[in-house]
Amino acid sequence: MMTGRKVNQILRLNPIYKKELKTGVRTFKTSLILLGYNGLLALFGLFAFYLTFEYGSRYGGRVNYSDILQIYAIIAATEFGLVLFTVPALTSGSISGEREKQTLEILLTTGLKPIKILRGKLASSISMMILLAFSSLPIMGLVFSIGGITLSDLGAFMLLVIVIAIFLGSIGIFFSTLFKRTTAATVATYGTLLILVVGTFILIWAAVMLDEIKFSTVNVNGIYQPPNVGNLLLVLLINPAITCYALIEAQIGTGSNFISFLRNFGTLSPFIEQHWFIISIMIMLGLSVILMWWAAKLLDPLKERKHKK
Amino acid sequence: MLEIKNLTKRYGKFTALNNLNLHINPGEIFGFVGPNGAGKTTAMKIIAGLLTCDTGEVYVDGIGVKANPQEIKKKIGYMPDFFGVYDNLKAIEYMEFFASIYGIEGKEARDISLRLIDLVDLTDHADSYVDSLSRGMKQRLCLARSLIHNPELLILDEPASGLDPRARYEMKEIIKKLHEQGKTIVISSHILPELAQMCTNIGIIENGKMAVTGTVEEILAAKGSMGPLVMRIGENLELAVRILKEDPRAKNISILENSISAIYLGDEKEQANLLSAIVSQGVKVCCFGRESNSLESLFLQITGQEDREGGSSK
Ligand SMILES: Nc1ncnc2c1ncn2[C@@H]1O[C@H](COP(=O)(O)OP(=O)(O)O)[C@@H](O)[C@H]1O
Ligand SMILES: [Mg+2]
Repeated sequence: MMTGRKVNQILRLNPIYKKELKTGVRTFKTSLILLGYNGLLALFGLFAFYLTFEYGSRYGGRVNYSDILQIYAIIAATEFGLVLFTVPALTSGSISGEREKQTLEILLTTGLKPIKILRGKLASSISMMILLAFSSLPIMGLVFSIGGITLSDLGAFMLLVIVIAIFLGSIGIFFSTLFKRTTAATVATYGTLLILVVGTFILIWAAVMLDEIKFSTVNVNGIYQPPNVGNLLLVLLINPAITCYALIEAQIGTGSNFISFLRNFGTLSPFIEQHWFIISIMIMLGLSVILMWWAAKLLDPLKERKHKK
Repeated sequence: MLEIKNLTKRYGKFTALNNLNLHINPGEIFGFVGPNGAGKTTAMKIIAGLLTCDTGEVYVDGIGVKANPQEIKKKIGYMPDFFGVYDNLKAIEYMEFFASIYGIEGKEARDISLRLIDLVDLTDHADSYVDSLSRGMKQRLCLARSLIHNPELLILDEPASGLDPRARYEMKEIIKKLHEQGKTIVISSHILPELAQMCTNIGIIENGKMAVTGTVEEILAAKGSMGPLVMRIGENLELAVRILKEDPRAKNISILENSISAIYLGDEKEQANLLSAIVSQGVKVCCFGRESNSLESLFLQITGQEDREGGSSK
């Protein structure tokens, strides 16, 4: 049986999380992020509407309502892109910032477990993302009201936003713990983001090039072999942009475009091709757990560690 | 209450703590004195579980810090030498934040926070943002914070450093109050006289080793004869200084009007020889003797170092 105290402990909010929220709403930075985020989103949304309705009706004579799905795609992609850029900024200073402000030591003497500190930090930046996502609902709702997109589509998109926030947030927190300076942590986090989004793609592209060179010399009988980089293609599972594409394509189309997109580079087992989204977010969540666990080890002063300057 | 056994800590090749031993009884205010770089902060961080040590162990109430760091953290209130506060948080919220870390919430947290804020005389500033407080107030708030979980042992690393005399005085008064409440307190400083007035026991650390420990009286009694040698000269001051300078046992010779003061590392017989030498050369000596009770010179002798901070608050 659970004692009252235990129940209390489970229900109690993480103290770091609570404090971050309290100070978060008081900072100018938060309102600035909210404003910039929704401003950009609205701008892109309006632009997409303009293209579809104004431009479409002027030159095409009528509005093609399947284009509305394109508007959704554009707005969702914009929101997704903003998440990619915001989360590293929110998390890469979480621990190094406390170190720089000399508040970390006190926190560590309180007996608060390092993992709890990190979880509080991660939760607060995810809350920020959820706040952003909710604040953008009116803009998303525009698309929703016109039709073509279901509530569960929006739900899946929210899930993607949250998982990506957790994944990138863990990376940011990890580097924030590893490096003493926030600048170094920020550079490393954005660098990793770049590797995940662009680097994995370049890797695949390079492999495809190699594959084609090989085939053009070996395969002399003239039959065209599409390149196949095989299981190397799996690295795209940790590419947030690809996974976002997989989701949106499945929502506004059938998902077959995404699979043919993958087939440009190689063939995977049909199971992975069809369940790309869910497999990808599972892997990202798994990596997040590992990064958080590792960061907690780095943060624990009684575990020997070496800091990067 | 606090037992330090054979504590050694190396930073690379540099040995910061060298087989440090220390025993502090419940209810003591222990003054942990040593020049800058002696290893005070290092020792205190190890006690607070912020640093690992190479060898040795620290026990608080019989519990080893290596074996059970979490248990020890509940018993210790630690105030670091340098610390920051959060922006965008009021003093009362700062306290409540730390209360919530210890699982104290709601009205209980507010009551404890207000009581401690009152203890450190910050009631008028409970609703001020912490980063707007003066340095002395921040120090006091940090002290209040370290008390939030009602620890038995307080580890205060140079709590008065960087404070003006008024703020130092207030800090001392609060520490005395805490002592009366039965807390065991370890307080570090590089200025001995500052601690001597309020500490029940003193330990002087140098190069990572305890040089002496005991009550102020005990230390003075053991080393009391080593107080500075002071002589007032009627005539021939320069000659007296020259003779003194030739004596290898005389150090830190200083002259103020017709008085000479020096640290003299000789026993009573050598002291008598010195006096007769000076007198026989024709110096008129009005007054000759050891000044007792000078904690500063004692500290200088033990640590063999100039007090670079020049912190004489005597
Ligand atoms: N992180 C560190 N790396 C290397 N040397 C250190 C480190 N921290 C302290 N030291 C050295 O250890 C010695 C003791 O430092 P410290 O414990 O801070 O002394 P105190 O608090 O008595 O002034 C000093 O010489 C200092 O330079
Ligand atoms: Mg120090």
